[in-house]
Amino acid sequence: MFRLALKSVRHNPKRLILTAIAVALGVSLVAATQTFTNALSSGFSDLFDDIYSGTDIVVESDPDAADEDDQGGDPFAAAEGVFTPADVEAIGAVEGVSIAAGGLQVNGSVVGPDTGDEPDDPLASAGGAPSQIFNWYGEPRVDQSTVVDGRGVQADGEIVLDLDSVENLGYAIGDEVRVSTDAGVDEFALVGTVRFGEDNSLQGATLAYISDADAHRLADDPNYASVSVIAEEGEDLDRLASSIGEVLPEGTRAITGEDKAAEQTEALDEVLQYVDIFAIAFAFISLFVGAYIIVNTFRIIVTQRTREFGLMRAIGVTGRQIRSMILLEALVVALIASTLGVVLGYLLALAFAWLVSLFAGDIFGTMTLPLEAVGWAYAMGGAVTLVSALLPAIHASRVAPMEALRESATGGKKPLKVRNIVGAALALIGAVLVTVGLYAGLDKPYIWVGAGAAMLVIGVTLLAAQLLSPLAGGMRRPLSAWFRVDGKLAANNIQREPRRSANTAAALMIGVMLLALVATFTESLKSVVTEEFASTKADLFATGAQGPVPDGAIDVIESVDGVAFTSSVGFGTATYDDMDYAVAVLDPATAAETYEYATDPAIGELSDGEVYINPTIEEVGVEVGDEVVLTGPEGEAPLEVTGLYLSENEGAFFVTFPTGEDLFGDVQVVQTLIVFDDSVVADDAENPGGAVTFSEQQEAIQEALSEDFPLVILAQPGQLEQLANQFIDLLLGIISALLGSALVIALLGVANTLLLSVTERTREIGLLRAVGMKRRSVWRMITIESMIMAVFGTILGMVLGVALGSALVLSLADFGFNGVTIPWVWLIVYTVLAAIAGVLAAIWPAYRASRLDILQAIAADG
Amino acid sequence: MTSTAAPALAASMRDGYKDYGTGEAAVRALDGVSVDIARSEFTAIMGPSGSGKSTLLHTLAGLDKLSAGSSTIADTTITQLSEAQITEVRRKYIGFVFQSFNLIPSLTARENITLPLDISGTKVDKAWFDEIIGILGLGQRLTHLPAELSGGQQQRVAVARALVSRPEIIFADEPSGNLDSRSGAELLSFMQRAVKEFGQTIVMVTHDPTAASYADRILFLEDGQIVDEMREPTAERVLDRMKQMGH
Ligand SMILES: Nc1ncnc2c1ncn2[C@@H]1O[C@H](COP(=O)(O)OP(=O)(O)OP(=O)(O)O)[C@@H](O)[C@H]1O
Ligand SMILES: [Mg+2]
Repeated sequence: MFRLALKSVRHNPKRLILTAIAVALGVSLVAATQTFTNALSSGFSDLFDDIYSGTDIVVESDPDAADEDDQGGDPFAAAEGVFTPADVEAIGAVEGVSIAAGGLQVNGSVVGPDTGDEPDDPLASAGGAPSQIFNWYGEPRVDQSTVVDGRGVQADGEIVLDLDSVENLGYAIGDEVRVSTDAGVDEFALVGTVRFGEDNSLQGATLAYISDADAHRLADDPNYASVSVIAEEGEDLDRLASSIGEVLPEGTRAITGEDKAAEQTEALDEVLQYVDIFAIAFAFISLFVGAYIIVNTFRIIVTQRTREFGLMRAIGVTGRQIRSMILLEALVVALIASTLGVVLGYLLALAFAWLVSLFAGDIFGTMTLPLEAVGWAYAMGGAVTLVSALLPAIHASRVAPMEALRESATGGKKPLKVRNIVGAALALIGAVLVTVGLYAGLDKPYIWVGAGAAMLVIGVTLLAAQLLSPLAGGMRRPLSAWFRVDGKLAANNIQREPRRSANTAAALMIGVMLLALVATFTESLKSVVTEEFASTKADLFATGAQGPVPDGAIDVIESVDGVAFTSSVGFGTATYDDMDYAVAVLDPATAAETYEYATDPAIGELSDGEVYINPTIEEVGVEVGDEVVLTGPEGEAPLEVTGLYLSENEGAFFVTFPTGEDLFGDVQVVQTLIVFDDSVVADDAENPGGAVTFSEQQEAIQEALSEDFPLVILAQPGQLEQLANQFIDLLLGIISALLGSALVIALLGVANTLLLSVTERTREIGLLRAVGMKRRSVWRMITIESMIMAVFGTILGMVLGVALGSALVLSLADFGFNGVTIPWVWLIVYTVLAAIAGVLAAIWPAYRASRLDILQAIAADG
Repeated sequence: MTSTAAPALAASMRDGYKDYGTGEAAVRALDGVSVDIARSEFTAIMGPSGSGKSTLLHTLAGLDKLSAGSSTIADTTITQLSEAQITEVRRKYIGFVFQSFNLIPSLTARENITLPLDISGTKVDKAWFDEIIGILGLGQRLTHLPAELSGGQQQRVAVARALVSRPEIIFADEPSGNLDSRSGAELLSFMQRAVKEFGQTIVMVTHDPTAASYADRILFLEDGQIVDEMREPTAERVLDRMKQMGH
């Protein structure tokens, strides 16, 4: 039986090629991401090994004890100092400790030389790799860096930089290096360059070391965040770690460098796991689309071989044997396709890693194909192929021996009734599930929505056959008018096999549906952004490129002529009723003048000791007039609820700055809104008196800031809106790219169906050619068929996608969405692309059809 | 086709050779065939199986290329034409009737008949169309799909399609091969009428002496060569001649 299946695959491999490619593409997505994340993980684990290799024992605040859980995953963030110099001394006194060095990181940034030029685009400099500024100890095993040129830091006011950054920033030894922090810009003398670890792999970050005293001064912290311990020769590190643990303050721990590196790697792997899951979700979509093609292919093959099966049955082969033969054929395809997919995925990962390394440097470890990826690939490829081939196989097993004697291969037309009923039922249930998932507020709504959407898609696929039939019938006339017989025959062919055409179109429908869904969502999001900026009355926004807007910067801004006033907004995280919430801190006196807050009563009414709450908090049962107790890192504050914030974005609680200081100490200002006075006029206003324009005013403020606060970014609302929209477009772009493989697979499906139907219609095409149809006309006929299927699938997909997207947007009304924006431009673009794709998908089948040898075509049996 | 200065010959072949395959497996299907097909004549080609009848028909009609030699259709030498040009010639000058599978399954009888005109974008000559339909007795069946027609009706539709564009010449490869004797006789007598009444030129391949006896002239083919010719045939004479050939 297996030999028979193999023979059958070998005898006619062409009809299975596209099917195999479809499966391989889906599978390759899985293999690629897993290889990629695996390499990323091993790359970072090398990095962590580098970081902690010299240090025998790391003493730090215990991530389990402290509630600052965000410190655990990010090795680069500056932690608050918890070790006093006395603590460090105590650790150094522990038996077996050779060196105990307190470590401290400064929040700040090394900036390039002040050339006096204005940055072309203040927004462009917002990104960029961060700086890592530490205190210099002078022992490579502690600093993790070795001096390359010059010397180490020996006195206050000196600095060393890593060798790559020196070059990138344009400094030379002896120069004054500018370091920008909360307190302003400081200058340090560059006395040397260092290399980090073995090959200075810093992922593009700038590494700097300054003296111990300077570090304490800039960090505004007398303590150390961590202590690096070097043990004496031959010490047992685990034992030493536990004896150090005995002298440590509350909430801190001692851990060996080796364990620390492993812990970091593990934390990163957890994050990467989500990347894998995300990619597997997209792979699933691709394979779902691929499944349509497999079903279609096997269906057509079974139809074409009806006579063969009939003959087999007549000579005594059982239906079961025929079924397993087809499933075996599917298995052969699955094996080949999965293998192909794994190889393709590996190459894809290599290519992508190479691309990334062009921008981000060498962040990958060795690229190995993880065993897990191979397992996933074969499991998914095999499962999808077999499940999809099951129905056609059952169909084949039911072929009666009599069929062998039938004249034509295409059997009688079965009515679409059953298909329609099942389709309608599925679509209905699917729609209900989606609605329930979106609006009922259940646990894990995405499961409901996902399952509902899948059922809806299958239901619509089934119904599409009914829809396509009269549609093709209706298009016969215009098509005949435009393209004469070519058009008429194309319409006929679509109508002849409505199931096949509908399945093919539906494969494309899925991808387009998701695209339209995302486009609807992102366009609606853009409307929210537009509205958001429409409610602002500020003339300029100030934000920090790295971290908060320093207080000193706000003073500088206010001192510039033409600035009427500023209003700052800060954020912090506070605990209420054992849950963490975002707390917005603002200045009620000026807030209302810079932004239309949707509050009741007006935001200006908010006083110290009071709080406004948003709907999330209302839902947990808090009302106006209640008293809530918020707990921040600096302390508790009992607050009276005096108002409501009507939308769910921004924060859950709104308090004044004095209240915020009770909770958070120094409130981190994320944004400062600047309002100009009347002397400043718009850029495009009539300006006979030569008054200062908005842009000039912006430049003046930037100029004032450049001295001490070069990292504060100024942007007009329009620029910010543009930036936000760019991010949204980027999101759309990324998702479109990920859906790309699903779309390619769908197009392969169109090509595949056409190819098989060309084979089926060999005699017909031969006859047309014999009576004088030109090759060009044959080509055109196939192309029209292809375009009809592609455009039909696209339109169905857009209808579904916009509907689902709208449902999603409406269900998120609480988050500030105030209506659906239908992405018309995208829809038109998609339709045009679909038509073009139809032309492309038709190339091979049309080529084959137009090149058919007339005599052979006429002689072909079938 | 009664245009002025009408060519005497509808089709011709000079020293036609056709080889299939190479080396050991090489087959010479046509071995130096020279033949003239006069206008308004009903020519039958007979011969044992494998003698090259179909090959001769296909090369004459430009469906297949000769290995050597030349052939013409309506004074156009088609052996040097490009594929597109030959298609054009076929469309303008040639009609076909095959043994089976003559019709496009998705088109009705009427649409199948007018297919050559639709392809070239020519208007249907209504009177001519009605005349053909009347004679062939297809009036009731025009809106039916091929699957809804009997074998004889399908072949008559095919003949109607071949006739409707008034081609220079019609090629038919065993048009009655799949029909019972009564339907076959009907079909052949209609083809004979087309030659007699409308001056149509027809070349037909057949195995059947009775079918061949409808023709004006019979060419006998053996091993790729024309070995004999017979005018005014009757079924008996044909049968005798075939016995001679050991058929
Ligand atoms: N495509 C081909 N490839 C190889 N040989 C061929 C091909 N077509 C025909 N032949 C050979 O050419 C010779 C003539 O074939 P042809 O079909 O013309 O015979 P025929 O007289 O029509 O036979 P029949 O009465 O059986 O239809 C035969 O020997 C045949 O095997
Ligand atoms: Mg023959």
